[in-house]
Amino acid sequence: MEFGRRQFRFASLAGAILLGGTASCLRAADGAEPAGDSRFQTAVQPFLQAYCLDCHGAASQEAKLDLSGYSSPADVAAAFRIWQRVLERLEAEEMPPDDAPRRPTEAERSDAVKWLRALRDDEARRHAGDPGDVPVRRLSNFELDCTIRDLTGIDLRPLSEFPVDPANEAGFDNSGESLATSPAWLKKYLAAARQVADHLVLKPTGIDFAPHPVVTDTDRDKYCVARIVDFYRRHAVDYAEYFLAAWRFSRRETLGRSTASLDDFAAEAGLSPKYAAAVWSVLTDSQEEAGPLAELRSLWRQLPEEAGGVDDARLGCRRMSDFVIETRKRFVPTVDRLRVKGISDGSQPLVLWRNRQLAAGRMLSAKEDGTAARFCRIFPDVFFIAERPPYFESNGGTKGRLLTAGFHLMQGYFRDDGPLCELVLGDDERSQLDALWEELNFITGVPARQYKDFIFFERAEPPRFAMGSEFDFARSEDKAAASAAKIERLRAAYLAKARQIGASDQAVEAIEVYFTSMAADIRWVEEARLAAEPSHLAALARFAERAYRRPLLRAERDELLAFYHELRGEEGPDHDSAMRDCVTSVLVSPCFCYRLDLGDFGREAAPDVTTASTTAGENGQAPAFRARPLSDYDLASRVSYFLWSSMPDEELLAHAAAGDLHQPDVLLAQSRRMLRDERVRGLATQFAGSFFDFRRFDEHNSVDRERFPAFTSDLRQAMYEEPLRFFVHLARENGSLLDLLYGDYTFANQVLARHYGIPWPAGEADGWLRFDAVGRWGRGGLLPMAVFLTKNSPGLRTSPVKRGYWVVSRLLGERIPAPPPSVPELPKDEAALGELTLPQLLARHRELKNCAVCHDRFDSVGLVFEGYGPIGERRDRDLSGHPVTEAAVFRDGSQGSGIDGLRDYVRRRRQDDFVDNFCRKLVVYALGRGLLPSDELLVENMRTRLVADDYRFGSLVETIVSSPQFLTRRASAE
Amino acid sequence: MTNRRRPFTRRTVLRGVGVAMSLPWLESLSAWGDESPAEAAGLPKRFAALFMGNGINPNHWWAKGSGAEMELSQTLQPLAPFKSRLNVITGLFNKQATGVGIHPGQTGNILSGAALQKGAVLKGGVSMDQVLADHFQEATPQASLVLGCEQPITGYHETNFSMAYSSHISWHDAFSPVPMEVYPSLAFDSLFDNQGSKRTRSILDRVGEHAAFVGRQVSRSDRARLDEYLTSVREVEKQIERARAMKSVAEERAKDRGQPTISLQRPDNGLPEDIRDHMRLMGDIIALAFQTDKTRVATLLLCRDLSGLFYPFLDVRLAHHPASHDDRSDAYERVSRYYVSQLAYLAGRLADMREGETTVLDNSCLMFVSNMWSGSQHDSTKLPLLLVGGLGGALDTGRVLDYATRGDQNRKLCSLYLSLMDRVGVNLPQFGDADARLADV
Repeated sequence: MEFGRRQFRFASLAGAILLGGTASCLRAADGAEPAGDSRFQTAVQPFLQAYCLDCHGAASQEAKLDLSGYSSPADVAAAFRIWQRVLERLEAEEMPPDDAPRRPTEAERSDAVKWLRALRDDEARRHAGDPGDVPVRRLSNFELDCTIRDLTGIDLRPLSEFPVDPANEAGFDNSGESLATSPAWLKKYLAAARQVADHLVLKPTGIDFAPHPVVTDTDRDKYCVARIVDFYRRHAVDYAEYFLAAWRFSRRETLGRSTASLDDFAAEAGLSPKYAAAVWSVLTDSQEEAGPLAELRSLWRQLPEEAGGVDDARLGCRRMSDFVIETRKRFVPTVDRLRVKGISDGSQPLVLWRNRQLAAGRMLSAKEDGTAARFCRIFPDVFFIAERPPYFESNGGTKGRLLTAGFHLMQGYFRDDGPLCELVLGDDERSQLDALWEELNFITGVPARQYKDFIFFERAEPPRFAMGSEFDFARSEDKAAASAAKIERLRAAYLAKARQIGASDQAVEAIEVYFTSMAADIRWVEEARLAAEPSHLAALARFAERAYRRPLLRAERDELLAFYHELRGEEGPDHDSAMRDCVTSVLVSPCFCYRLDLGDFGREAAPDVTTASTTAGENGQAPAFRARPLSDYDLASRVSYFLWSSMPDEELLAHAAAGDLHQPDVLLAQSRRMLRDERVRGLATQFAGSFFDFRRFDEHNSVDRERFPAFTSDLRQAMYEEPLRFFVHLARENGSLLDLLYGDYTFANQVLARHYGIPWPAGEADGWLRFDAVGRWGRGGLLPMAVFLTKNSPGLRTSPVKRGYWVVSRLLGERIPAPPPSVPELPKDEAALGELTLPQLLARHRELKNCAVCHDRFDSVGLVFEGYGPIGERRDRDLSGHPVTEAAVFRDGSQGSGIDGLRDYVRRRRQDDFVDNFCRKLVVYALGRGLLPSDELLVENMRTRLVADDYRFGSLVETIVSSPQFLTRRASAE
Repeated sequence: MTNRRRPFTRRTVLRGVGVAMSLPWLESLSAWGDESPAEAAGLPKRFAALFMGNGINPNHWWAKGSGAEMELSQTLQPLAPFKSRLNVITGLFNKQATGVGIHPGQTGNILSGAALQKGAVLKGGVSMDQVLADHFQEATPQASLVLGCEQPITGYHETNFSMAYSSHISWHDAFSPVPMEVYPSLAFDSLFDNQGSKRTRSILDRVGEHAAFVGRQVSRSDRARLDEYLTSVREVEKQIERARAMKSVAEERAKDRGQPTISLQRPDNGLPEDIRDHMRLMGDIIALAFQTDKTRVATLLLCRDLSGLFYPFLDVRLAHHPASHDDRSDAYERVSRYYVSQLAYLAGRLADMREGETTVLDNSCLMFVSNMWSGSQHDSTKLPLLLVGGLGGALDTGRVLDYATRGDQNRKLCSLYLSLMDRVGVNLPQFGDADARLADV
């Protein structure tokens, strides 16, 4: 019924526009003169006076509704959101209520309804495509977290402790109505921005953000060391894999790959082509008839001939690898410690000397005879040292000293990866690794720290070589201790004493090398840090540009740099702190934390586009509104905050820069790409989470965990995650919207699957899996998800009322007034219900007429969920032991049982309500404003296209992003 | 847009010679008309932890009796003037600092009671001073002062613990120590130029300007939206300014009435040549910060564990750590006594600061602790610990308490922390390895 009426209305509306419609078309169609003042004064106002204003007037504003003070149709049009509800109530004949002292005749009611409909349709036509008034607003706390993630590359969620922002009337936290800024919010946000800036890392040629704060020396060490060690682990060499690649290459004919190169086989296995070639060559060329290589070749020749023997080949390659590793140990040159009596064996110059000898011998053979030289060169002692034990424990009992030089007490790293660089890495990888080591010195400033530790050690720890007055000037606390002059002075004193006590030439040389290289490293860090500052400032400007989601204005760039220089000014903070303050200030700037794209900021005068109002103008009416197209940058923000709750990515910004994002094919292609992107989780959280009302479920605390021990925090988190996964899947796979209602699949991890009684597939690790044909477990789609069943239960019993209300109001979009203050309480605990069951108690409640008005609308829908307990678990009996019944009589008089009964009813009678509600909610969310009468055409288009497109979710998004509402903004009045 | 800059006066005001800071608490209280009721109700309570590495001389560390009659060992003599405000506590221990090898593992958790992780990735727990700092975050311009008289080191000890644990007793969270200030001049500056005020103000200043600039480029209705933002920025700026302004008013008034002022000249740049000057200056800075209510929480690492400090003025030839290996020597007694005298010095400064009918010391608790009882034995099964000051009457003083024989459950260092935090107004159910308060404190 309802649907049919709308179709008619929009058919006429669309016709009116196609015909270059005039107001009279519609009037003719409706047979009334709706917008005329006279009708309003002669019929509508008296109607209001007689039947409405007693309760909904200035004096007694029942339901907070005041219908007085509307003196013209224009007044009504301006507040049509209120009048839309009046219209709905009148259409449903719910108002005035049955017990009202006076009730209108059917003709009076029908006149009022007609007049309001005509006014709405007239307004809709005059404003068709109106972008509406969408004020600039700040980003929601959720959007800020997402945007900071995409801006820094790190999912820091500095605002995760902030409350979810309040929702607007439609239930969303993404519109100006609800996103207020207060000093308290700003103060917290400022602290959050500082927290983000604490993750800033200054690199030799730019800036980056670390996954943890990088404020202390230990933080900086952790960051740099982890990056190098990760690199090593990614490039670790497993000989067996190389032998296998060589074997496959040698059998390429029988593998049917006669044209594949060794490089191809190496690439397929993720191996270094360079090293694969080296291995191939020692296995196959004809040098060396004796020694370990000859033995290796004999193993190689024993590998199976047939390509089919791959498992045997794998085993054979493993044997070859074991052979190499075992054999290679025999050829490792030993390097004795360099010792000087009076100097600690752990003294830096001596430990480093030995490290250098060991590093230099990685590819050498200890045997003189030469038969193993080539073997040792291709199969080094080790490729790299990621962990080094302390010098006094050369067998390496202790673990976890990543990259260290092996000093005792003192800080210091030592790079020993010659074989990896020489044999395995390509030029690019080699440069990457070099850059990482350079970064280590640059970021941690470790050379100066190492040197200061040296001073402490030599002065204080036994045998205290640097004791005596000539060393007293050297103090590790002294910031100037690492100055060139003081290093030189210590070098001279140290060497003099070493020579005096008879240190060997080798030791003296080691000491000289030490001081020279320390001085050089320390100077390098100082100079590189100075030299890098301009690149940091350039990176800062780029950061601001990305943060603001548009090119910086010249004045803004200048101002940002001026701020930096001003901070650095006389006796200001150091470069690092100033950079952090600049980053903080960018994050706190309204250009970052506000959606200025919604406003007129920085706009070149774009021509206004006047829309349907032009025709009205020809009829002598003022244009209803003026709109102008969004700039491509603004469009990029609009579409990314719609679909990702986050900033546009590089690709979107590139299209904005190229100026082609507004082209329909580009925009549609982008929106499709964006829906497939995992960032669409933003839409799932902020839109679906609000729409279906589970946003805060991850902190849901009303379950009694003593009574429901299964309800752990992990289960709660999994329940929260399920609808998100479902919705993300829908968006990324462009699934059917109706799957939300009828889909026979869902997503679960182990804890949720256990809760649902779904067997976990054997051998599958924990994680999120899709499960199909879950109807047999009583699941599938949104309706039986534990999150909704639990959230809509008050703890120790179910609540058919809340569950039914959720379905009817959230999913089907019915507007149901709040309950009166004097509702009788149901027992809090199902186990305390006594003789009656919950359904029986509710039936009693509905015997009261006042209650039945609303409860008739949702109780029955809620009763079908009785087969699910208070935490959404399947059950046969309620908590007081009564067998549960899932049967219900729906509003159309039909009977049904359980979820399937509800699904049948919805499919038969209410599917359109669901679709219509979903479309409207999505429009409100996408536009960030309430629905206007002029949006009806858009909603209608969405429904039509959705049906035509098999209910694919993507069609809704495409219709919205192609709409004038989305593509334009109101031209400012100024 | 480009000419908008006001000339900056960052720090220059404070850089002159002899900044006179006069701000007895009551004066500032009367000037700060809008103090929170909690603060108005009582004088602020302060807590400081002073740390000395490698233990004391066990032969000369004891006390008997109570109150003014208390008899003090040789090492504790510097505290004689404070007997009635002193608690000498022995026998407490930190479970996680035992059985893990010597030095860093005995130190990095002394204020947290957390288990420490070996290897490249640091992991411990938030320290109790930082818990208190969080509590006072809003009340004072600076949440805490974290000072040291010896440079931290971050290499590895043979136990495979990072030396960062030997150098840092104050931990921000499980993963990061609080950066420690070693330079007195910078510590002094930090009291007047900290994250909480000046840098924040300049950021807000810039943001305010930027918001105004943006506001000029948008429509009138959007400008109203941005005004809301601008107003919030200004309001937060004002909140930060307010503290400053009120302090100045209080200073002015105090001056007018000829109140005695306590002044501290900004220490010279660079490091004091003499460790005695260094420690004394750090004590002065804490005293100044407490008196002027710049902060209520401080830690001072007098020396780190495995310290390399020298004491020629005590006629001790060896550096601190080697000297501690002969901890029953007269030399190490002198070292230990010297450290106790640093506690006495700070207590003396605070005792000279009147605060209504009391003194700042009366409203503070200064805790002195070392990571070992005996440096030669590397023994952390019980710790030397001293408390001076009564936290405004919340903590009984003038007592000698020995927990050594009460059983491990009843002698936890973290139990003492729970008891102390209670008295400062932070009530936690559990801290470190303790879920009960220390008996008889």
